[in-house]
Amino acid sequence: MMILNKIISFYYREYKLNLSGFQDILTNIIFFFVSIFIFIFSIGPDKETISSIGIGIVWTLLLLSSTLSLRKFYQDDFENGNLLIMHLNGLSFGFIAILKTFSHFIFVQIPFLLSIPIACILLNIANDELIYLFSSFAIGSFILSCLGSISSSMNLMNQRNFLLGSVIVMIFSVPIIIFSVGIVSLEENFNSLISILFGILLIVFAINPWASGLCLKLSLENN
Amino acid sequence: MKFLVNPSKFNKVADYIFLPVLISSIILFSIGLMFAFYLSPDDYQQGSTVRIMYVHVPSAWLALLTYAIMTLYSIAGLAFKIPFGFIINTAVAPIGAVFTLMCIISGSLWGKPMWGTWWVWDARLTSVAILFIIYLIIIFMNLSFENRIVREKVVAIFVLVGSINLPIVKFSVDWWNTLHQPATISKLSKPSIDPSMMIPLIVMTFAFIMVGLAIAILRIKTEIISRKSNLS
Amino acid sequence: MILVKDLSIERSNKKIFENVNLSLGPGKIILLKGKNGSGKTTLLKVLLNLIEPSSGVIYWKGKLLKKNLYNFFNHVTYIADRTSSLSKLSVQENIKIWTKIFLSNISNSQIENILKTLKLDIYLDQKVNSLSFGETKKLEFLRLIIENKKIWILDEPLSNLDNESINVIAQTFEDHRSKEGSIIFSSHQESEINVSEEVLL
Repeated sequence: MMILNKIISFYYREYKLNLSGFQDILTNIIFFFVSIFIFIFSIGPDKETISSIGIGIVWTLLLLSSTLSLRKFYQDDFENGNLLIMHLNGLSFGFIAILKTFSHFIFVQIPFLLSIPIACILLNIANDELIYLFSSFAIGSFILSCLGSISSSMNLMNQRNFLLGSVIVMIFSVPIIIFSVGIVSLEENFNSLISILFGILLIVFAINPWASGLCLKLSLENN
Repeated sequence: MKFLVNPSKFNKVADYIFLPVLISSIILFSIGLMFAFYLSPDDYQQGSTVRIMYVHVPSAWLALLTYAIMTLYSIAGLAFKIPFGFIINTAVAPIGAVFTLMCIISGSLWGKPMWGTWWVWDARLTSVAILFIIYLIIIFMNLSFENRIVREKVVAIFVLVGSINLPIVKFSVDWWNTLHQPATISKLSKPSIDPSMMIPLIVMTFAFIMVGLAIAILRIKTEIISRKSNLS
Repeated sequence: MILVKDLSIERSNKKIFENVNLSLGPGKIILLKGKNGSGKTTLLKVLLNLIEPSSGVIYWKGKLLKKNLYNFFNHVTYIADRTSSLSKLSVQENIKIWTKIFLSNISNSQIENILKTLKLDIYLDQKVNSLSFGETKKLEFLRLIIENKKIWILDEPLSNLDNESINVIAQTFEDHRSKEGSIIFSSHQESEINVSEEVLL
């Protein structure tokens, strides 16, 4: 029962933190929409072209804008020592990584998930394709959260080159992009592709606590 | 076999074998290049361009082999707390990156006359490109961390996570329908390549291995020295 | 309760300290003294099992500390030399988060009393980043009371504080000692705190 209370209080704290920094998340979403505008201006407002490459654009920009918020993932809590306090409060590093990943999914990715329908209207994506995009992003965004957790915990002690964290996320998200965009173009293969995505999710979710926990421990040891 | 995990023993063995390795790499290279350019036949379809294979295939194999070695040593370093694993990781990554780059460049030189394009986005080519970027990230990580203990362990974790790409590179030609041809040489079945091409290929592979080994010995020795004197 | 035997630490081939012996029992206050870089913080981190010692063992209630880590964590409060309060939130919100995280059953009036003695009650609705550094440091000490644990591990608790607050803290330490609690803290400056043992690193 105690562990349940600790989890609830962990999310209470995350909620308070994210509420006070809500404009950061909103800025991320604005970045997403402004990049859509710029994409449309750069390829011209031709309806056919836009709707044929629309899904790819949405996915790319979602990936780019969710890597923007990576810096906040562990960095703040690491610098003010809250990570250590959570650990001393009886949560192992791997468990902290899992909780943080869910928190990132809830407070950063869900707002993106909600803004997808508006993006689809802007990009002329048909309604039946919207369902595929939505379901693929629901799984894909969780994979992105796990990857973000791994890469940002790796780069906690890296003061010189933070962009490396985004590059790591992007290089590992290549298969996700391939399969998620494939879902829309190969509609008859929907079930098999969604199973592949789900398989990737399980692999990444299994690696995440191990890799992030080890990196968190390392950074706290040598800080 | 202790020299594979112990720096001082490695130094002794390396001093012993460095010169033979260097000489044999020169001999093997001259024999291999002679075979590759003059003594092997033209392909009946591809003509003379098939000779690119004698660079392309060995470098591709070695790119994969280097990463596999790094993966093994990362496991050794992280799980069994053998610091020599981290030394190997730092020393060997640039060698693997160069082999991958050679593989990509020779491949695209071969692809232009055969496929009519420098680059196609098929599974094999893409996964090798990703392998190259992973190598680059490893090198950059080695450069950008200030604390050595954190750096080597984080790099080892990254190598392990990135090793997912290795089977994808290897089996991409079987799993997907690619433009790149599937493997012609495999252990389980009789190779579908003529001995007159097989022999120079094997000679060139050993030449590449010897060159890689010579550079690796030099790099590992400098890495050991710099660690002893706490330079990095 | 904590017994440290022959602890030595080496980091990147450099010896930081050798053969430290400590025993922290109930009602004991240990002061770690030493120059900057003598390894005070490192020793505290070793006690929290964050850093592996190169030799030596630590026992917790007669067992190896490493094997009973989370049991040990249930009895320990650690305050680092940096402040852990969330700077974007107000003082009151921070206190509320702490009471929730540490599952504390401390009453509101108790907290108000402590805030009054620390002279923080006027800032209750202000954000933490508008407080001065000494004030955030004092706010940090509130965690000692909220967590209500037996062992306090404090890293440089006295730096950046005025004499008045140091007196308050000395009083708190005395109270804790009389309640059979134990404290280990590091400091590089002289103070009036009544310690039972000094360890020079």
